[in-house]
Parts: sequence; C-alpha cells; structure tokens
Amino acid sequence: MKPLNFIALVLFICGVTWVVTLSERSVRRIQQTYYATITPFLKGGSSIESHARTFLEEIEHSKDLENQLRAIEEEYIKLRSIEGRLRELETENAELRRALDFKEKSRLNVIAARVIKRQPATWWETAIIDKGQRDSIGAGVPVIAPGGLAGKVDIASEDTCSMILLTDERCQVSVQVAGTPEVGILHGTRGRYGEEPRLILRHLSREAAILPGMKVITTGKGGLFPSNLLIGTVKEYTPGPVEGVALVQPSVNFDELGVVFIIAQKNEPEG
Amino acid sequence: MGWYHLSLLFLVITACIFQQFTPTFQSLCDAGILLVPLVFLCSAVTVGAGPMLLLAFTAGFLWDAQHVITPLPAALLGNPEVYDNPGGDVKFGYSIVLYGLMGFFMQGLQPLFREGKWHVSALLAGIAVFLYLSAEYLCITFVRGDLILTHSLFLKISFTALLTMLLCPMVFWVLYRLAGLFHHTISYEGLARERNTAY
Repeated sequence: MKPLNFIALVLFICGVTWVVTLSERSVRRIQQTYYATITPFLKGGSSIESHARTFLEEIEHSKDLENQLRAIEEEYIKLRSIEGRLRELETENAELRRALDFKEKSRLNVIAARVIKRQPATWWETAIIDKGQRDSIGAGVPVIAPGGLAGKVDIASEDTCSMILLTDERCQVSVQVAGTPEVGILHGTRGRYGEEPRLILRHLSREAAILPGMKVITTGKGGLFPSNLLIGTVKEYTPGPVEGVALVQPSVNFDELGVVFIIAQKNEPEG
Repeated sequence: MGWYHLSLLFLVITACIFQQFTPTFQSLCDAGILLVPLVFLCSAVTVGAGPMLLLAFTAGFLWDAQHVITPLPAALLGNPEVYDNPGGDVKFGYSIVLYGLMGFFMQGLQPLFREGKWHVSALLAGIAVFLYLSAEYLCITFVRGDLILTHSLFLKISFTALLTMLLCPMVFWVLYRLAGLFHHTISYEGLARERNTAY
C-alpha cells in the first residue's frame, strides 16, 4: 500500500470513529442543520411539482371538473341544510352538558401542515412536512391525518419537520382494541414492500376476544399520544403461547398523505 | 487533490439534493433509484484510494443525516412502564463504513475501467448497490432483532439495484466530461492504445 493511501485510510478510520461516537444530541443537531439546508430545495421542488400536477390535471380534466363542480354545488346546498340542523343539535347538546355539569373535553389544538416529501429512503418510513420550530413544533409531537393517527415528529428544523410514519417499525403506540379491555403496543412492519401497509399489535392476552373489523384506538397512556385517536381496524388475530398478536389495517391512507395536522403541545425545544 | 476531485464532491452533494426528488415505484415493490450511492460508486472507480475514502466519508455522512432515525431524548420516549422497549436503530455513521467497503469493491476492477471497459464497472455498480442494500438491511435487522426475509424484500433490493445500474452510463458520461474539463486522466491504457493506433 502506498504511504499516502495508508495515511488516507488512517484518517478515514479516525473520521468514522469520531462520527460513530457522536452523542445523540450532536447527531440530532447535525440532522437539524441538514434539513434546514435542504429545505429551500425541498420547498422549491414541491411547489414546482404541485404546480405542474395542477396544471396537467386542469388540462386533462377540465370537463370532468365542470361536472364535478355542478355535483358538488348540489351537494353543498344539501349539506348546508343538514349543517343548520346540526348546529341546532350542537347548541342543544352543549346546553344539556352544561346542565349535567359535564367537564368539557379538551379539544385538540392542531396545526395544519403539508407533506412536501415522502422520503425516498429504503428502509425507513418517513416524510417531510412544511412546518417546523417556527410554528412551535418539537420532536415527539403526534401527527394526525384524515382517518386517524399518522405518526410523530422526529427532527424539527426551523421551517420543516421530518416525521416518522405509523407504518415504520420504530413508531410505537400504546393502543386499545375498542370495546374490549385489550391493550398493547402497536408498530409498523418490516420486510413488506409494494403492498398495503399493515401494523402489528403485540402484548395482547393469549386468548383475547378480538375479531376482525374491530377498531383500534390510542389509550393515551405513556404520555406520547392523546387518547381515542383512531389507528385502524383489526385484520387478523393470532393467539400465541405467551401473548396474542393482531395485524391491523391503518385507517390513514399513507399513499395519499397530502395534508396532516400536528397536535400542538408543549415540548422542550431541542438543541 | 485536484479540481476533478472537488467536482466529484460537488457532484455527490448535488446527487444528495436530487435524491429528494427521485420517485419510488410501488409496482416494483417500492424500488427506487439511489442517486447518491450511484454517483459515489461510479466516481470511486475513477480516482485513487485517498479521494475515494473522502468521497465515501462525505456520501455516507450525508446519507445518514438524511435517513438514520436517531433515538429521541429520554424525556420524549414516553413512560417506560408503557413503552418498555423503545427499540434501537443503526448508529449514525454506519453508512460511511459501507460506502468505504463498496468503494474498495469498485476499485478492485479499476484496471478494466482504465482500459476503457466502463460497462464492466457499470455492472459492478449494480452488484455493489445490491450488496450495499443487503448489508444495510442486515445491519438494521441485527440491531432491531427478528430476521425477516421476504420475497418482496428481495425484489425491492433487486429492482433498486437494477434501476440504479441503468443510470450508470449517464453518470460515467458526466464523469468523462468532468475529467476532460479538468484535464484528469481516468483511462490511461485506453488513451495509450488510442495514441498508438493513431501513430
């Protein structure tokens, strides 16, 4: 080996040792800086992509859109009348609650964000959203989407966040099978690609009375996720010698994750 | 270290940005094109061991900054009575080692590349991507436990390697252009043979 190559190899090994022994805090700071640096490219790319898609859709479906608009207008009128009735019921309900001295449930305070990139990562199920520390979002904050829980924030930079999706093996949630006392820990799966995502629910009783189609919701235990957020429905339950395991179909359509809602809650800022 | 080597560093960083916009193909088991490994592997065969290791360090570092999920601070891991096994993940920096190994793998057939047989290196890049992904998956499996090997996993790795390999000629073309621009010779023997034929 040439002396210069040997020196390069030694320097490389030193560099690797330095990187591998970095503290988790330093690594998160590096990742924050990385995301802050690529944010302009991501936002620019995402905006070009959405403009192009809208433009193409407009060209291709202008007739369809016209028909859809007419149908939506009719639907809108119908819904307005239903909404009026619902408002009355809501007022009545509120009055009854007050009369019964119910404690009002604290409503979730959410911040809407747009998914600007589903990560092209090979093994990790993550996405980047267009809100960050500037909107008081920190690591570990739950993210919901139409349908239910979608994941949690992993790295929060100034203007963007990287979120771990519920379908990732590293995203664990304490859940309950609705209508039963069965609680367990749910997480994503590994090794399944190009098919519908499934979630694994572990730590159930050996012979739990769980049937396909039952709803799975968050328990709120553990302090990470609020309670009663829909996760999905049981697809299959397998009793085991020690514990039962269920396969759950997520209620969120992760293929069409466009807008998500971050549940605003106090978290210590990182860094 | 010349301008050519610096341009390769720039190319790796550019690939990292373009990687954000590469799609994955659901019909091909979520396979995608891995631009950063591709640019690194093609570049590795055109330079010596020293610059290759520098490229491996840069590419691996950026790759991990983008992908590795670092454990959250203890305060955000939830109540340990409920979340008793938060699970681990691969350490930040593991990709640097994998990139370094793949770089040496590519350099194994450098003499053929220098003779102008770039297609052998292109094929080798496909194999290297396959090995890289397999090694990455095994590292994750080793840390998280439960060896899960499925048919779709094998297809995903194979399709990704294939799709990435198909772009090799384009990257080599860019590298030849850069080499010409910065007067860096990357195929000595090929050039020598050409010169002999001319005389």
